[in-house]
Amino acid sequence: MTDLLVARNVSKTYFDTVANDNVVALDDISLAIRPHQFVSVIGPSGCGKSTFLRLVAGLDRPTAGEIVVSGRKVTGPGADRGMVFQEYALLPWKTTAANIEFGPRLKKLPKDEREAITRRFVELVGLKGFENKYPHQLSGGMRQRAAVARVLANNPTVLLMDEPFAAVDAMTRQRLQEELTAITTQERTTVLFITHAIDEAVFLSDRVVALSGRPGRIVADLAIELPRPRRWDALVNDTRFAAYRDELTRCIHGNKA
Amino acid sequence: MRAARALLAELFPFVAALAVWQALSAANVWPRVLFPPPLEVAQTFAADLASGVLLVNLGVSLKSLLLGFAVGCAVAVPLGYLMGLSRASRNFFDPLVNLLQAIPGLAWIPFAILWFGLGQGAVTFIIVMSVFFPVLHNLLTGIRMVQPVLIEAVRTLGANRGDVIRHVIFPATLPNLMTGIRLGIAFGFRSLVGGEMIASTDGLGYAIFNAQQYFQSARIVVGMLTIGIVWLAMDRLILRPIEQRTTMRWGLVREGLEQA
Repeated sequence: MTDLLVARNVSKTYFDTVANDNVVALDDISLAIRPHQFVSVIGPSGCGKSTFLRLVAGLDRPTAGEIVVSGRKVTGPGADRGMVFQEYALLPWKTTAANIEFGPRLKKLPKDEREAITRRFVELVGLKGFENKYPHQLSGGMRQRAAVARVLANNPTVLLMDEPFAAVDAMTRQRLQEELTAITTQERTTVLFITHAIDEAVFLSDRVVALSGRPGRIVADLAIELPRPRRWDALVNDTRFAAYRDELTRCIHGNKA
Repeated sequence: MRAARALLAELFPFVAALAVWQALSAANVWPRVLFPPPLEVAQTFAADLASGVLLVNLGVSLKSLLLGFAVGCAVAVPLGYLMGLSRASRNFFDPLVNLLQAIPGLAWIPFAILWFGLGQGAVTFIIVMSVFFPVLHNLLTGIRMVQPVLIEAVRTLGANRGDVIRHVIFPATLPNLMTGIRLGIAFGFRSLVGGEMIASTDGLGYAIFNAQQYFQSARIVVGMLTIGIVWLAMDRLILRPIEQRTTMRWGLVREGLEQA
């Protein structure tokens, strides 16, 4: 199968105005992702994992190397690489439905088609009955569901997620993780997921890429072969789950210095 | 029933203030010309309303105020977005704006009279100069406060620069724009009264000034109260409904912070 997303020798150096020095955030990252794969990138804070995601999104430019998505080199942001942020980033002046409809509206899809898409994704993330609420009227978990629906409704080639569940409480987080694996399995979405939580990465992913501390280099690339759909009550005592988690923990901490 | 209650709650502060005013007048501490009682003011108000003087002056003043406000906003709002969204125009205009904004609108009176002659033209010009800076300044603050993550999010949904301005920058800057408009109108009223006292022969400001010449202190109060009532009406009938339908509904602005 051909790769959907290819990063070739990507490096990112930026100038830190506080330290008054150049900082190497990412050093020579190469990575290829196949369609329908759920890939997580983990690493300690400051390892450049979010920087990598921003380069894929086209929100920043690499200092060296290139990123290619569906055969096209990334030169800027685009609707084929929709991103879900930790801070939800819903538009406060649009209702849940209007936020989800936003991408299809930019694409100038006909009204009935837009409404059908919106209805489908509102239901998919379990927000039926909240279509006409504004983001400030929703809980954190509901806001993040709306943010995921907003990107999925835009039918992206790859769904980019930057620590999306870091700001919600632990119980909501587990429920959102279960919903996300169910949805992305059902929709066969290609996902590039950034997190610092190892158990989250193992739970969600087909493959986990671990980065070392600054500068970020790939120190592990592990296929996670756990059956789907995944549920926490089944996996929490699973020995294979524990083995993956321990191996990734060793990789990250062994390379900390 | 609930509407009647809300109206009573709304009127209560005014009734209370009126009672204090009446009590102080009844105590006869100061001569009537220095502290006119409510009844005399009400009689003057009714007389000026009946004779049409009040409405004519009000009409003249409102015309200057609204025209000055409209022109001020028509320049300040596009310039604000231009400066907020383009570094080159910001670098060019920012020093000029900073130089000019400390100069009070009233300082323009001499030139206003030289350029437009005595009358409402000069007054309108002063109002333009007073409205312009608070609107521009608040709009620029609003643009600086737009969350970058909102722009990034819509760009990954396929938004181009025009979409970002329309769907993110405009609504995000609305709370600050409303603040700028409120301040702009308030500054406009100051300049209206000041300007009419010096540069005009009609309008509410002139009426206040003229009443003082004849020791008609109740008429001074009528002029002052009319300005207050006009502002209150603008706020309740235009500005608040806009905010309730937009910034408050979106959760960007609250009524207050009672839970703090």
